[in-house]
Amino acid sequence: METGKTFSGGRKYTNGEITVYWKPDACIHATYCYRELIEVFDPGRRPWVDMTGASTEKIIKTVNMCPTEALTWKWNDEEKNKSVGPGQTNHIKFRRPELMEAGEAGEKGILENPVTVKIMKDGPIVIKGSFELINAGNNKVISGSIVSICRCGKSHQMPFCDGHHRKVGFEG
Amino acid sequence: MEETKNDKPEVSVEVTDRGPLRICGNFILKDLQRDNETVPGEVWLCRCGQSSDKPFCDGSHRK
Repeated sequence: METGKTFSGGRKYTNGEITVYWKPDACIHATYCYRELIEVFDPGRRPWVDMTGASTEKIIKTVNMCPTEALTWKWNDEEKNKSVGPGQTNHIKFRRPELMEAGEAGEKGILENPVTVKIMKDGPIVIKGSFELINAGNNKVISGSIVSICRCGKSHQMPFCDGHHRKVGFEG
Repeated sequence: MEETKNDKPEVSVEVTDRGPLRICGNFILKDLQRDNETVPGEVWLCRCGQSSDKPFCDGSHRK
């Protein structure tokens, strides 16, 4: 979906009343969010946003302080979003209007299905999602949806995993 | 500015020649071995099995 492309990655969190969007590559670590509301925004915790940590009013106030577009918010009730005033600086209407147009269908593909890179226990790197894989050895490019990359150095199918990590007792 | 940024593929994975795996873009790194989850933007992951900073490359492959 065309509108989905304009939001190139991020995560969202909701308390049922509002949704907070976080776009990591827009964050300049100005630290307003966690200095103001560590109960909700705690960079040392995973997930780092806990929407149950404070009232909706406090969360909105804090998100509105974010100087970049890394944190934005919206009401879950779409009707309420239409009448939001300019005082709500970081409402998606002002910062990420593409999310207003995208709606749930547009968001789903991008926000809920980001590319994941998993480091398997004593095993390979498993990459899932939409990505481009470039093999510098032979300049081959493949567009993948899932690959498993050798991490033990012993595969006979480099760069891919062929299960040899089990035979050699790879740990790490 | 936003437009040019979005024209890039969201995530690129590069198997460097006799070196680590470089991953760039918006992705979630889930390390099941060390039980953590981050959104690093860019990483260099060890492919030789020799790094002492796993899952990241520490240059050991050259030794």
